[in-house]
Amino acid sequence: MNEILRHPSAEAELPTGAPVNMSRRGFLLGSAGVAAGALVIGFGLPVGTARAQDAAAKVAPGTRVPAFLEIRPDNTARLMSPFVEGGQGVFTAMAQIVGEELDMDPQSFVVENAPTGPDYLVVFGKMRITGGSMSVRTSYDTMRHLGASARAMMIEAAATRLGVPAAELTTEPGQVVHAASSRKVSYGELAGDALNLPVPAADSVKLRDPSQFRWIGKPVKRLDMYDKSTGRAIYGIDTKVDGMLHAAVQHAPRLGMTVASIRNEDVVKAMKGVHSVHKLDGAVAVVAERWWNAKRAVEALQVQWNEAGAEAKGKGIRVMPADFSTAAFADRLAKEPGAGKDAEKEGDAAGVLASAKTVVSATYHSQYLHHAQLEPPSTLARFNDDGSLDLWMPNQAPEMFQADIAKMTGLDASKVNVHSPLLGGFFGRHFLYKSANPYPQAIQLAKETGKPIKLIWTREEEFLRDPMRPMAAVRFRGALDETGMPIAIEAISVCEGPTEGISGHNPDKMDPTALEGLTGKDYAIPNKRIAQLYVENPTMLAYWRSVGNSMNDFLYESFLDELADKGGQDPYELRLKLLKDNPRLSNLLKAAGEMSGGWKRGPYTAADGTRRARGVGMASPFGSYTAAIAEVSIKAGEIVVHEVWEAIDPGSIVNPAIIDAQIQSAVALGLSQVLLEEAVYEKGVPVARNYDLYPILPPSRMPRVHARIVESGEKMGGIGEPGLPAIPPAVANAVSTLTGQRIRSMPLSHYTFEA
Amino acid sequence: MKKFLLTLIAIIVIAGGGLFWFVTHKPGSPFDGETASAAPADLVHRGEMVARQADCVACHSTPDSKPFSGGLEMGTPLGSIFATNISPDKQTGIGNYTLADFDRAVRHGVTPDGKRLYPAMPYPSYVKMTDDDIRALYAFMMNGVQPQNVPNKPSGIEWPMNMRWPLALWNAVFVPSGTYAAKPQQDEQWNRGAYLVQAAGHCGACHTPRSVTMNEKALDEGGTDFLAGALLDGWYAPSLRQDHNTGLARWSEDDIFAFLKNGRNKHAVVFGSMAEAYNNSTQFMTDDDLKAISHYLKSLPGDPARDGQPWAYVAATSATGNAGKPGAQTYAAKCGFCHGTDGRGKNEWIPPLAGAASSLISHSESQVNVTLNGSARVVTADIPDAYRMPSFREQLSDRQIADVISYVRSSWGNHGGPVTPEDVKALREHTDPASSNPIVLQMR
Amino acid sequence: MQLQINNKTHEVDADGDTPLLWVIRDNLGMTGTKYGCGLAQCGACSVLVDGEIVRSCVTPLDSVIGRSVTTIEAIETDPVGKAVVAAWVNHQVPQCGYCQSGQVMAATALLKQTPNPTEDDIAAAMVNLCRCGTYNFIKTAVNEVAGRKEASL
Ligand code: FES
Ligand code: FES
Repeated sequence: MNEILRHPSAEAELPTGAPVNMSRRGFLLGSAGVAAGALVIGFGLPVGTARAQDAAAKVAPGTRVPAFLEIRPDNTARLMSPFVEGGQGVFTAMAQIVGEELDMDPQSFVVENAPTGPDYLVVFGKMRITGGSMSVRTSYDTMRHLGASARAMMIEAAATRLGVPAAELTTEPGQVVHAASSRKVSYGELAGDALNLPVPAADSVKLRDPSQFRWIGKPVKRLDMYDKSTGRAIYGIDTKVDGMLHAAVQHAPRLGMTVASIRNEDVVKAMKGVHSVHKLDGAVAVVAERWWNAKRAVEALQVQWNEAGAEAKGKGIRVMPADFSTAAFADRLAKEPGAGKDAEKEGDAAGVLASAKTVVSATYHSQYLHHAQLEPPSTLARFNDDGSLDLWMPNQAPEMFQADIAKMTGLDASKVNVHSPLLGGFFGRHFLYKSANPYPQAIQLAKETGKPIKLIWTREEEFLRDPMRPMAAVRFRGALDETGMPIAIEAISVCEGPTEGISGHNPDKMDPTALEGLTGKDYAIPNKRIAQLYVENPTMLAYWRSVGNSMNDFLYESFLDELADKGGQDPYELRLKLLKDNPRLSNLLKAAGEMSGGWKRGPYTAADGTRRARGVGMASPFGSYTAAIAEVSIKAGEIVVHEVWEAIDPGSIVNPAIIDAQIQSAVALGLSQVLLEEAVYEKGVPVARNYDLYPILPPSRMPRVHARIVESGEKMGGIGEPGLPAIPPAVANAVSTLTGQRIRSMPLSHYTFEA
Repeated sequence: MKKFLLTLIAIIVIAGGGLFWFVTHKPGSPFDGETASAAPADLVHRGEMVARQADCVACHSTPDSKPFSGGLEMGTPLGSIFATNISPDKQTGIGNYTLADFDRAVRHGVTPDGKRLYPAMPYPSYVKMTDDDIRALYAFMMNGVQPQNVPNKPSGIEWPMNMRWPLALWNAVFVPSGTYAAKPQQDEQWNRGAYLVQAAGHCGACHTPRSVTMNEKALDEGGTDFLAGALLDGWYAPSLRQDHNTGLARWSEDDIFAFLKNGRNKHAVVFGSMAEAYNNSTQFMTDDDLKAISHYLKSLPGDPARDGQPWAYVAATSATGNAGKPGAQTYAAKCGFCHGTDGRGKNEWIPPLAGAASSLISHSESQVNVTLNGSARVVTADIPDAYRMPSFREQLSDRQIADVISYVRSSWGNHGGPVTPEDVKALREHTDPASSNPIVLQMR
Repeated sequence: MQLQINNKTHEVDADGDTPLLWVIRDNLGMTGTKYGCGLAQCGACSVLVDGEIVRSCVTPLDSVIGRSVTTIEAIETDPVGKAVVAAWVNHQVPQCGYCQSGQVMAATALLKQTPNPTEDDIAAAMVNLCRCGTYNFIKTAVNEVAGRKEASL
C-alpha cells in the first residue's frame, strides 16, 4: 500500500520543482553570493555589490571574470549568461565560447541567466537584450576574451602553486599542465587562489587560433536537454517562494477602459480560497490560495467598465476603438492616399515606371500575428523586509525592466532584483511593452496584500493583451524591359513599424524595422524606391520573430515572382541573374537549388501521383543570408508543404546543430504564419482568445526540412530569426505556380483551392 | 429565425386583404381603466421572478447594453429587426405604458398605438400568463428596472414588407385566447409545471415544431407535437417528451431538475441556445417551480415510431474499435481528450456524446454548430463553468467536421446518421463562434 | 479526496471539478506538467491516467479518483519513459522545452501501448503543439525508441 502524504509538497524522491532560487545542482544563485565553503573564483564581488555600482562606466562590460564564472571544486563551472535562454540555445553557445578559451569542456558548465548589472551589458558593449538575433554575434569577442582571461588567471595561480614560471604552463581541458614536471592541477583546485588575482586586461590575453577550436564550430550537445525532457526545467510560471499567494486577472475588453464598478464583489469574495479582490489599471484581479481558485473567481467578477478617458494617452497606451475591425483597417491601409516617404532610393524609379512599356502593379497585405509562445506570461513579485523587491518574470531585457520598475515603484534600481527564468518560448513577446507585461499588476497586488504574489495570465487574457506584429498594405509597381528583366521597382508600404509603434513615431525619422525586407534587398534592379506611408495602428505593436522581415520578404519576394511571370522568366533563374554580381548570394541560392536536387518549378506530378510545384524565396535578415525552396501540393483543398530546403550563410558559426534546430524552428513559424495565422479583431476585440480560433502549426503540417549552412567566413550574422523570412514567399510562390492563383496575402487558409 | 420571418412575411403579404377594423383595433385588457398605484416591494420582487421565467432579458438586452434598453438583432433576408427598449423610460421605453397597455403588448402583441408585434415576441405563449403574473411583471418592469434613454433601432425591413397589420390575422388564427386553465384531473404540481412550460417559460417556442405557417404545431400537451423537438436558428432543440433517444425518457425528474438548476447532469450540459436560457432564466427559478416543470415534462409521452430503435451503449464501436473510419483520428486528437475515447464524458462536467440526444437526432445542426463555434459559457450563480467547448471552425475543414461528427454519430451505439460537408458549410457561413467570455445579462 | 499519483497517495483538498493540472501544479507543487491553453488545445499538460494519455487541464479531479496518475516527474521510473527521455536527449529534441513534458508523456503512452508504431500511429498519437517547431526531432526520437531509423529524414 502506498503511504499517504498529508503534506503534499513533501514529495520525497521525485523532483517537485526546486525552490526558485536554487539551480538544479544546488548552487546558490544571485544575491546569495558565494556558495558557502566552496573554493571558487566568481562572485568575489557579490552580485549585489556589482549591481549597486551605478557607475556603470567604471565597469567594462564582459571583462570581470568573477561576475561571470564560478569554478567548483568538482571541476564544474557555473556561467552567468548575459542572454536569456528561450530555446535558441544561447546558454550552450555561451558555454562553448567561454569554454573554448578557458579550456574547459562546455559539458561541464551550468549556465544561468545573469542578474542585472553593468557587467552584463555586452551587446555592442553597452546594452543587454536577448533579441534581434544579436546575442552571439555581438558578444562573441567579449566572451572569448572573458574565457581567455579566466584561463590566464588559472595559469597564474598554478604558477604560484607549482613554483614555476607561468610561461612553462599550458592547459588541457579543466586543468593546468606543467609538462616539464608532468604535474597537473585541476581548475577546481586552483579556483580559490585564482579568486584573489587581478583580472588581466582583456586585450593582454591571447585568443585561441580558430583552426585549433575544439568546441566552437562543432555540434556540441545542448546543456539543457535532460532537464527539459524530464520536467525539471523551471520557467517563470513554475517559480515559487514561501508564503506566496496566486493571482489571476480579467482585463478590460478594450485597452484604455477602466474599472467603474464590480457588481458582485461579495459573491466572489465568498468563493472558495479567495483571499481578496482588487481593482487594477484596466483590469480586476483576484488573489487566492490556489491559482485555479483565483482564475475562476476573477472570471466570475461582473465588471462595469468605463470607456477610456483622456488620461489613457498619458499612460502611453493606445485606446482601442469600440468599432475597430482588422478587415476595415486592411482596407483603409490599401486605400490610404499618399506616396510615402523614401527609405531607399536608387536611380529614377518614378521616371522609368512612367515610361516603361510593361508595368506590373499589385497591392499586398500582411496580417496581425500573435506571439503565441506556449508559456503564458507570469510574474512572481515579493517585497522583502529590507524594502527591496524581488521579481521573477520572463523578460528579454532585465535592466530595462528593472529601470521601468524602479520608476514605477519609486524604489532605487539597486533594490529591484530582476530574476530571469527560462522562457517557454518568446519570439519577441517578452520585451518591455506597455500594458502587455504582468509585472505592474503583480507588484500592485504584492503591495496591497503584503504577500508574495504569483500572477499568471490565462491564455485568454494573454491573447487580449498580446501586442501585435504590425499589419501592412504594400503597393508595388514594377517595370520590365523588353527582355522581361525588372528595371524599376517601387514599394510603398502603408504601415507602422514595430519600433515606432512601441517607442513613438518621429515624423522626422524612419523606423528601419517597418521596411526591412523591402529595403536591403540585394537584387540588381537599377531603379528602386522603397517608401513608407505612416498610418498609426489602433493596437499595441510588438516585435515578432524576424521583425519587419517576417512580413516584408513575403511581400517583396512574392511580387518579384509576379514580375518574373510577367516577364516570362523563371523565378529562380531571374534571381540568379539579378544576383550575378553578388557571388555570396549566388552561391547561397545555388546551394539551395542543389540541395533540392536541382531547381525545378513545376507543376509536375510526383511519384505518389500528387501534383506539386516549388517556389523560392530569399532574405537577408539580421546579418545573415538565406535562400529557401518549398515544395507544395494540395490535398482536400488544403496546402500541403512536403519539403523545405533552406541554405543559410551566417558568415561564421558557433554550433551547427543549434543552427539546424533554429532553421527547423524558423521554418515552422514561417509556415505557421503563411498557412494559418491571423489575429482578427472585430468590434474592438480579438476574435480568438485561445489556440482554438488562432491555430498554430500542428505536427501534421510540418514538412521535412533540409538545412545547409554555407559558411562564407564573412562577418558573423544572427541565427535565431534569419531562417524565417524566406519561408512564406517560398511557399506562396509555389502555391501560385501550382494553382495559377496569385497569392498576395497571408494566411493561405483564407484562400479556396480546388482539391 | 430567418426562415421563420421570411415565411411569416410571405404569409402577411398573401393575407394582405383583411378588415381594417380588425387589424387595427386594440384588444381589451382586464386592466383597462385601472390607474397606476405604487407597487409594493414584494410585488416587484415577484415580478422579477416572472421576468426570469419569461426570460425577457434574453432578447431585450445585449451583453453591451444597459438592462432592457433594447437588444437582440434578428437578421432576416429582408433586413434586421431589433428587440425594443422595454425599460421604463418615458421617451424611448415603455415608461408611459399603463398596466393595460403593457398587458396588451405582452399577452397580445399589440402596442398602445395599435401596432402588431412580430411573433418573435412569444405572445402566443405569454397569452396564457395569469393576470397576477402580468401585474407583477409590470410592477417589476416599471419599478425594478432603471429607465434607459436609448432610442429603438429602426428595423431594416422596408415597405411594403414592414407592414404589421396583417399579423392581426395571423394572430386571430394561431394565438390561443385566454390564460392557462388548470386541469382539475392533474395535481397542483403538474398544473404549475404545465403553466410555466406553456406560458412564461415559452419552451415550445424552441422545442415545438412549427407548421408552414410558422405557428407552433401544438401549444399544450393535447398535441403530440408539443415539445417534440424543432430546429431554430441553427440549433436543434430536442424533444422534451418521453422519447428514449431524442427526448427525456432516460432522465429522471431529478435529472431534469438538476439540468435546469445547475445547467448540467450526468446526461448533458446545456449548450447553444439552451446555455443562454439557462444562464438567464431557468437557474433563477425556485426549486419548487423547477420540480414542477420536471414533473410535468415527465408526463408527456414519447413516440417510439418517431424516436426509433432505443439507444444502448455499445463498447465495440468505441474510438479504438472503429479506428479506421474517417473522423476517428480527428476524434482522438480533438474531441477524445475531453469527451473520452469511450464517448462518456467526464462526470457531469464534460457531457457524454454516447447516447446524447444530439448524437441520435437525425438533425445534425446542433452538433455541427457546437463543433464549428463552441458553446457559450455556462454561468451558475455568477460563477462560470470550469470547462468550455472550444470552436473548431479555424482548425477543421467542412469535410473533417462532417467526418468527425459522422464518427460520433455512429460510435458507441449512436445512430444519428451521417453528416455531409455541405451540412457543415451551410452552418459555417451563417454562424459565428461563441464568446469565450462569460456573458451575464443584467436585469437591474 | 485521495489522489494516487506517481505511486503515492495524496490527500488533496480541492473541488471535484478542479482540473487535475492545477492539483498537480499547485496542491502538489509538481511543476513539470505545464499550462499552455487550459482548453485541450496544446497538450502541454499531458499526463498518464492508468497508462492512457490525458490532458490534465480538462481532466476533473473527481474523474481520476481511484485511478493511477503518472506525471513527467516519474517518467524515468518507467522503462519506456526512460528510453523516451534518453532518445529526447540523444536527438536534442527540446528548444524552449515548455511543451516537452507533454511530448514525452505522449510518446511514452504511445510506445507503451504500441511498441512498434507505424508512421501513421506516430502521427495519430503525437498531436501536441510545439511553438518552437521541434516536430521533426520528436518524430526521429520516437522512431528511435521504436527501434527503427526513420527512412524519411
Ligand atoms: S494546457 Fe492542457 S491542452 Fe493546453
Ligand atoms: S520546445 Fe518550445 S514549445 Fe516545444
